[in-house]
Amino acid sequence: MSPPLEPQADFMKFPTVFLALALAAGAAQARDVTHELGTTDVPDSPERIVVLEFSFIDALAALNLAPVGIADDDQRDRVQPVWSERIGDDWTSVGTRKTPNLEIIASLQPDLIIADKSRHAAVYETLGQIAPTVVYDSLTGDYEDMLAVADEIGTALGRAEEMDAFQAGHGARMDALRADVSEQTQGDDAQFGVINANGLWLHSPKSYVGSLLASFGFAPAMPLTGSDSYGELYQKTTLEQLSALDPGLLILGKSGDGRTLDQDWNADSLWQQIDAVERGRLFNVSSDLWSRARGMLTAEEIAADIRDIAATLK
Amino acid sequence: MSDARRPEFPGLRGPVTLALLGALLPVLMFAGLFAGAIPLEIETVVNSLLGRDGPRQDFIVLQSRLPRALLAALAGGALALSGALIQALMRNPLASPKIVGINSGAAFAVLVTAFYIPALPHSLLPVPAALGGLMAGALVWWCAQRGDIDPRQLTLVGLAVGLTLDAGVDALLVANTGPESSAPLIWLTGSLWGRGWTHLASVAPVLLTLAAAALILAFRLDLQALGPRRAAGLGVRIGLERTLALLAAVILASVAVSVVGVLGFVGLMAPHVATRLVGGRHRIMLPTAALFGAVLTVGADTLGRAIRPPLEISAGILTALMGAAFFIWLLIAEDRRILA
Amino acid sequence: MTDLTFSRTGRPSRIRLSRGGMRGAVLTCVLAAGALASLLTGGRDDVGLAQLAGLFAGEAASPAEQTMRDIRLPRTLAAAGLGINLGVAGLLLQAVTRNPLASPAILGINQGAALGIVLGLTVPALAVVPGWLLASVFGLAAACLTFAIAGLVSGRIDSMRLILGGVAVGAIGFSAVRLGYTLEDDIAREVVRWTVGDIADLRIDAALRLLAFAVPGLGLAYLMAHRLNLMAMGHAASHGLGFDPRATLVQGTVLAALLTGVSISVAGPIAFVGLVAPHIARWLCGADHRRLLPVVVLIGATLTIWADALSKLLPQAEEAPVGIVVAMLGAPWLLVSVLRRSGTAHV
Repeated sequence: MSPPLEPQADFMKFPTVFLALALAAGAAQARDVTHELGTTDVPDSPERIVVLEFSFIDALAALNLAPVGIADDDQRDRVQPVWSERIGDDWTSVGTRKTPNLEIIASLQPDLIIADKSRHAAVYETLGQIAPTVVYDSLTGDYEDMLAVADEIGTALGRAEEMDAFQAGHGARMDALRADVSEQTQGDDAQFGVINANGLWLHSPKSYVGSLLASFGFAPAMPLTGSDSYGELYQKTTLEQLSALDPGLLILGKSGDGRTLDQDWNADSLWQQIDAVERGRLFNVSSDLWSRARGMLTAEEIAADIRDIAATLK
Repeated sequence: MSDARRPEFPGLRGPVTLALLGALLPVLMFAGLFAGAIPLEIETVVNSLLGRDGPRQDFIVLQSRLPRALLAALAGGALALSGALIQALMRNPLASPKIVGINSGAAFAVLVTAFYIPALPHSLLPVPAALGGLMAGALVWWCAQRGDIDPRQLTLVGLAVGLTLDAGVDALLVANTGPESSAPLIWLTGSLWGRGWTHLASVAPVLLTLAAAALILAFRLDLQALGPRRAAGLGVRIGLERTLALLAAVILASVAVSVVGVLGFVGLMAPHVATRLVGGRHRIMLPTAALFGAVLTVGADTLGRAIRPPLEISAGILTALMGAAFFIWLLIAEDRRILA
Repeated sequence: MTDLTFSRTGRPSRIRLSRGGMRGAVLTCVLAAGALASLLTGGRDDVGLAQLAGLFAGEAASPAEQTMRDIRLPRTLAAAGLGINLGVAGLLLQAVTRNPLASPAILGINQGAALGIVLGLTVPALAVVPGWLLASVFGLAAACLTFAIAGLVSGRIDSMRLILGGVAVGAIGFSAVRLGYTLEDDIAREVVRWTVGDIADLRIDAALRLLAFAVPGLGLAYLMAHRLNLMAMGHAASHGLGFDPRATLVQGTVLAALLTGVSISVAGPIAFVGLVAPHIARWLCGADHRRLLPVVVLIGATLTIWADALSKLLPQAEEAPVGIVVAMLGAPWLLVSVLRRSGTAHV
């Protein structure tokens, strides 16, 4: 019987139509995204994305989005396995992060470019001529800053809820790893540094790795004072300075393929007397992972390394 | 270089060389539109240039390669002119903008601005560069003036000032090793990466005006070469003309350096090559040097883009290598005429 | 030099030190102060002169004594050695090229060594070769190339060709350094740091190597001192006096190259020492190379030792590389020296 239904159908018609119109309008409209260097009109669901720093790969990998172009310093294996598992191997290298090749980027016909503030501010306008470009600060700051940037990227891509969900899961996994570790680390101080043939660079407590170690319950070996400037976050340290710091646990990321300075220092009694060396609490980790690969997925890998290190402390 | 021994080639050799170089430059620039990380076909390039339908690469051709080629030509020509003027003024075949400390002064000023006044928009960088170059040039000029305006004095003082400023540049680089030093580091190597129409627009008026002024001064410099007394007799005001020429040289080099960085050896090589090609008369040698500098820089930029994509070898690195080869050739050929 | 003057009555009057003696004494005091400053500063707070006793303690030395024995003392000695080698090299080059702005940098060695370092950082096959070896080999190869194209073999060498040769060879290394700037961050930072000169992690072997070259180098230079004096008089005069300026040019340059090569292999290129120390020495005691040599040794060592001390004293957590501090100390001297010359219209 039609009459009882008709008023209902009429009643439902308006919201339906309205909703349909709203959806249509929404799909055609791009969104305004505010970032470090201004505001950009970004398409709703960008599909061809070029990323110019490693932490941006991580944000995309978290959302299972594959970029079409990555600035990988011309070395494909700099892209961590935990990322390439999720984004595949189909991306084109656009060159170094320092000077990404603008022609190659243009030839990929991207609909979104994600760039780093410190490195690419000079070419922001040029990048904008190729495709809508958003800029974030991915190289300074600590672990919390990295999470905040990933959150903003999620919003810029129109996948804010998905990113929130992923970050919640990530936080839970990190907390679980912290719980595993916390009993062994109370009171111990730990220090991370990158070492190659010519020098040792220690990462300060305010750096990315420094803040991660702190969140796992390690005490800092270096003083907490100091600014956020790059020179204070990563300090070249002599053997004498290291022996004055005397960390109880030393984590070294070896950079480069040749000799590293600690091999030369092995003969030095001053090195042997550093607390960490004496007690055998000297650990080697991947410098690529710890010092170059910021992101949530890689933070979980670093956390797994920390858990393995802590397990040997008992 | 003793003026009496500068070669002179009367007749058509000068104008013909000039014409050949003048034709080579646009050909090279056009060829550069095809070469690079993404090799393009003729049809694509032409479509983009003329705005026709069909396969196009508008960004690559119109926003990247074309302005870069023009900027390379302009900067190379400016540096060559600057070098030619300085060599003429200082009568020293080893003189160049670098010798007078201009490059180092401009580099120091640009780095200070980049690191400590980051709010300054990049299109305004020619200003601190010009100021830095002028200050270095002024310091050199003032030091040399205290004795006599002896060209050798100028060289020595310029070297000292340049070395000091270079040390300042090194200190700034060591103190600022973070990612914000990426752009300045690249700039120091003499690179046209990321350069486009805005960069061209910010320097083209100044450079073109000064180039024209330099070419006018070229005629006056020919008279000066006759010696102070005869030149004065012919109505040339030596002090003012030389000062203007030096000023033009300093600003040409500083402004060029501000936008493309330190392109090594162009200012040093181009006058030498031009002299060997067309003789020492400035009214022919200066334009030839400018064209040669332009050709050299456009060639270096194109080569740097095409050699090993996705990497870009800075034009300044290639011009320095070419400079090395040039000097080695000069010495091996034992041509003492130029060196005398 | 003490100079006893007697009054007319034959009784000795006050002993007056001659001006040269005064200057020498002041210089030695400045050097000693610098050595103290260098030995007493560093990462650890507990290291003082008393720890020098640790030199004889062997295994039983405390960490502070080990620091003094293994790190501070060698570093100060190395700094002195660098100053001596580079200062003497600069003096030699300025004398044989008759160019007051000559310095070890003109030989192209700095740039050749830099090329070696950049290759070591970028070519995987060379990554295992120690940096000092790459720097030495490529640096000396560059010097040989400079000599060759300047006409050493053909006998056509003169100071102008030498300088040009250095410029040409130097340009190649210069390109390599600039290329290093454009590569990835770690390589760029290493290249920037190395090209400035750094002695932070030197040990006793480096110091001994420097001194092993310095002592015979100084001796050889002293033997040449008379001829270096004659060089200043120009080619014609030297022929008249019966010695071959070309041979002196070659010997002086080769010696300078060896002294520079060992310095660069240890610490990277340190500019300004070889340029400034001879200037200051000439200002203090004239143009006689027999007197200049010991003075240049003192001044060069003082400059680098003080630079080392200041690099540790400057209020930053990270030590400034010694090359930067040397430049900061040396640049004003250079400008003053050049200004004085141009003021008297006398090159």
